[in-house]
Amino acid sequence: MIEITQEFTDKVFSILADVCDSEEIKANPNMKLFDEGLLDSFGTISLVVEFEQQLNISVPISDFNRDDWATPMMIVQQLAKRK
Amino acid sequence: MDILDHINEWALKAPNRLCYIHRDHQLTYGELKGESDTIAQWMIEKFGTDRSPIIVHGHMDPMMPVLFLACVKSGHAYIPVDESVPSERVSMIAQSSQSKLVFSSTPDSLPLLKAEIIDVHELEVKLQNSVYPHFDNRYAVQDEETFYIIYTSGSTGKPKGVQIPRRALTSFTTWMLDDFQLEEGLTFMNQAPYSFDLSVMDLYPALISGGTLWAIDQEMIARPKELFASLAQSGINVWTSTPSFAEMCLMEPSFSSRLLPNLRTLLFCGETLPVSVAKRLKERFPNADIINTYGPTETTVAVTSIKITQDMIDSGNPFPVGRCKPDCTIAILDQDGLPVPEGDKGEIVICGPSVGQGYLGELEKTKASFNTVHRMPAYHTRDVGSLIDGVLYYFGRMDHQIKLHGFRMELEEIEHVLTACHYVKQAIVIPIKSGDRYDHLVAVVVPDEHPFESTFKLSSALRQELARVLPSYMIPRKFTYRSSLPMTANGKVDRSVPLKEVIQ
Repeated sequence: MIEITQEFTDKVFSILADVCDSEEIKANPNMKLFDEGLLDSFGTISLVVEFEQQLNISVPISDFNRDDWATPMMIVQQLAKRK
Repeated sequence: MDILDHINEWALKAPNRLCYIHRDHQLTYGELKGESDTIAQWMIEKFGTDRSPIIVHGHMDPMMPVLFLACVKSGHAYIPVDESVPSERVSMIAQSSQSKLVFSSTPDSLPLLKAEIIDVHELEVKLQNSVYPHFDNRYAVQDEETFYIIYTSGSTGKPKGVQIPRRALTSFTTWMLDDFQLEEGLTFMNQAPYSFDLSVMDLYPALISGGTLWAIDQEMIARPKELFASLAQSGINVWTSTPSFAEMCLMEPSFSSRLLPNLRTLLFCGETLPVSVAKRLKERFPNADIINTYGPTETTVAVTSIKITQDMIDSGNPFPVGRCKPDCTIAILDQDGLPVPEGDKGEIVICGPSVGQGYLGELEKTKASFNTVHRMPAYHTRDVGSLIDGVLYYFGRMDHQIKLHGFRMELEEIEHVLTACHYVKQAIVIPIKSGDRYDHLVAVVVPDEHPFESTFKLSSALRQELARVLPSYMIPRKFTYRSSLPMTANGKVDRSVPLKEVIQ
């Protein structure tokens, strides 16, 4: 677990904005990405790849579930736990 | 080969063998025959000589194969509709097919439907302890009659029903069992929802060869932990999926021959198989065969196949889609309908018994794509391909149909529905590539007046409105807004201009 810095949060949000192709994410950290249709099973693949490449955090796809990884903020917390 | 006789025989030879497993639900060959005969008998009494198609609505429920067989045994084509299909779209399908009866495992999710609905769970209760009737197959769907109808995206804004006759399904399954080394009693993964004909690639070969289907559902896919737990228990021998689904599974480090020690054949259909995916699969499953196949829904699942070798992977060149099944032929035609020289690109035209009967109730559309070549039924695919030494290569589409993660869709259908939404004046939908494959959709919208304070809220409202008619995989991920769209000289929206903008 690392401390969640603004820099880390910004980095994760920027990956999310890229993968979801939506800048709106940055202004709406509690947005439900799957419910809003911004993320689906195939989007999560790209996300997992980007987390690995850009943050050096590997998340097995089996750990990725829609309840614990629902919003940008929750994703930041999940990633911090794994760093 | 008689499909129904072969499936029925397992009820005598191995009545207690499992033919279908979904979570805690299991079905034996004895139950499959007994229950489908009972329901077929009831339908014959109910409908008499009326052989109109029947909708089977649900998701991976073991009652679905029972109902499919009950329909065809009583002379009705079945229309498989997945639970993920929005209710308004189910109503469109019911209306267009003039179905009088719908079997559904979630009847409450279909409030708008005018046809009679039978709750599958109530049916199951009634079937318990019932005495199976003696039943003969003389009412069954005949060779030139429709066996199933699969609804696919239509460019005019409405889904269209692709009709597959029994003769075509027989031809397909015979080929699968003869050429793919699928002997008796294998376990097949069943992952594609029944709305997609990829599911036919495992369903009938499994049931005819006395195999067992292991069903993977959407809940598992949404929670990959469950998916891999289910795969670990499955013991599957034969994997059938889109390359996209396999690619998702490859993200899990434990996805290998240690998780699936009995896996020996991987079958791919529905979209281009990327070399990178095959390479990684070969590393994870060194002893399994990887088979690439190709075919539109209109010609019954697949008509070509090829085993991917290590040499093909090492060459790095895009894979061919394979050789045509022996009872069909493939022609590559130019714009004037004449054969092109060997190796040149042209339209892929498929001829032979795999070719279906066209689109239900859509004579014009059927005529535009189906005809007869050398006295064989022929389907003009609008796919671009070339043939070299009898091996087919696929290069894309001649129109605005695309495959997104294996899902077939007409961009014009999405545009049609989007333009009919509130707050939309004009819209086009553009598929965005990642590498050489489509990754997601972007809608470029000219908005009308709207009450929302931000475009984000407007996008959210549009997504909700689209979701009433379109399946989720057809809903654009991103919406961008413009005050106008560029037009071509003949008054159509110029697709190439917004494409450039969106990509920047």
